[in-house]
Amino acid sequence: MTAPDAKTGRDDVRASLSLGRLILWAAALLAAAVVVGGACTLVGVIRLSDLTRQIWATRATQMLTAGIVGASLAAGGLALQGLMRNPLAEPYILGISSGAGVGVMMGLAAAARLSLPAWASTPVLAFLGAMASCLAVYLVAQRRGRLDPYSLILSGVIVNVFNGAIMLAGNLYIDPHRIADLTYWAMGQLPDSTPTALLAVCGSCIVAGWAVLMANSAAYNVLGLGDDVAASSGVSVNRLRLATFGAVGVMTAAAVALAGPIGFLGLIVPHVCRMTFGPDHRLGMIVTPLAGAIFLMIAETLCRSLGSAMGLGRVPVGILTALAGGPFFIFLLRTRFRGAAA
Amino acid sequence: MNEQADILRATDIAFAYRPGEPVLRGVSISAAPGRFTCLLGPNGSGKTTLLRCLLGQLAPSSGTIELGGRALRNYRPRELARVLAYVPQQPASSLAFSAGEIVLMGRYAHTGPLGLAGPGDLAVAREAMKMTDTLGFADRTLDELSGGEAQRVMIARALAQQPAVILLDEPTSHLDIRHQLNIYRMMRRLAHDWPMAVVCVSHDVNVAARLADELVLMRAGLVVAAGTPAQTIRQDLLSHTYDVPVDLIATPDGGAPMVRAKWAAPEEKPQ
Repeated sequence: MTAPDAKTGRDDVRASLSLGRLILWAAALLAAAVVVGGACTLVGVIRLSDLTRQIWATRATQMLTAGIVGASLAAGGLALQGLMRNPLAEPYILGISSGAGVGVMMGLAAAARLSLPAWASTPVLAFLGAMASCLAVYLVAQRRGRLDPYSLILSGVIVNVFNGAIMLAGNLYIDPHRIADLTYWAMGQLPDSTPTALLAVCGSCIVAGWAVLMANSAAYNVLGLGDDVAASSGVSVNRLRLATFGAVGVMTAAAVALAGPIGFLGLIVPHVCRMTFGPDHRLGMIVTPLAGAIFLMIAETLCRSLGSAMGLGRVPVGILTALAGGPFFIFLLRTRFRGAAA
Repeated sequence: MNEQADILRATDIAFAYRPGEPVLRGVSISAAPGRFTCLLGPNGSGKTTLLRCLLGQLAPSSGTIELGGRALRNYRPRELARVLAYVPQQPASSLAFSAGEIVLMGRYAHTGPLGLAGPGDLAVAREAMKMTDTLGFADRTLDELSGGEAQRVMIARALAQQPAVILLDEPTSHLDIRHQLNIYRMMRRLAHDWPMAVVCVSHDVNVAARLADELVLMRAGLVVAAGTPAQTIRQDLLSHTYDVPVDLIATPDGGAPMVRAKWAAPEEKPQ
């Protein structure tokens, strides 16, 4: 055993991160995501006998959708955890996903009545629902502009229950033939086909939201030292809160419009990335969304292929992430949360 | 000691968290490069509120605060951070960053949006860590450091902002006397050698009296007295400030006398 500080030449300040390193990791994980996406597409079509261009395109679109949704939820979870210095924050747990869900449901109703195209009405109402939930959670949890971590989780629970009630009530007024579809969607199921226009709109929203989070990634690091220290270091804390909630709201709305509320991905993926790549949000904001994309593409393929192979039929991917995420949440609560309070 | 003109000047500022319950009732205070100022006073006297006003985090309801001849409220956050730095009471990082990375975060206001450190930033951080004697554990996280070491890292982080003024909120309240003395000596060195303006909220009148250039005594939102330790360490002023009769005890080294609450304060006699 050697003492870590004894003449190892380590007693120096080094930058842990450079632009080159960021680009390198971005390229590596992007490549991994493409390979996994391709592999998952192959797995999807391999059992089908009548391979057509159509089927290939459908499967590839499904994987693209899964990737976009996974990236969005993972990046949103990381940003919320950074903003609130709370390892349990996540769009689903805080009720942002369910708020977007209420919006999507209303969007479907509006689209039916007003004959609007779904790509226009669904994301906009999902965003409004997500932002209303963000606002509710924030107002309930904050005291004198400070966010108490326990109140935050509790207010998320309340908002989730409230949104859940609205969605259940909505079921009463929906064409009975469509209830089964909606039920699957509400469990977090990627649709068999996604309109290209909807995919394009939601995809752009997610990329734009991610760009805002990336631009603020250094600020989340400084915020870890406390609001006062961050503010005196040059972080506009209130602007950071607004930007983060706004961006995460847009990204979550887009993800929910595409795939329904998928829970716990935003909890698991950022945490595993933090353990692997360290606490720096600048690197985290690059590797976490790509890892989230990989995670959801694999999970979706498992649900689609293994489910039917085992005779279970198709399992909504939201069920798989919830089954994995529940225990993970408890694990975090028992191990990581003790010291993180206040 | 090479005292210069005031860089930070608060004039007659008032502040209330709730209407009708003023915490500051017309406080004036100044800081100058080369001067180490300590704010003293009992709990609830408004020291920390004053510090938060000076940081620009609370807006006084009346009075003015000027920094470098400009109204404090006209500074943008990044701009302010290049002039004014802050050290909290309790060092804390919710993320497992190393001491070196935390000090580099002091460069936030000097770097681009991603806060990527260039050679200049590394040199500044290195210098700040040398100054605070923290370079030896640049690779360790705050959790792995003692309270005194962690607080020195937080001071190094503030220095990395290259400020003209540094404000500290009871930085030694959880440290033992040796580390208290170390930190106070360091603050004095920073004030005199850098030279920067150092303003420290302090709970220990004796350490402050030995090492500060100026003491500001506060009580119930007002400044009772301000001046050198020789001018302010007086039995009547301190008894009034802390609302308890005090004794002054001469010290063997002939410096500022020790301040101690009388054993039998009239209201709370042991028998």
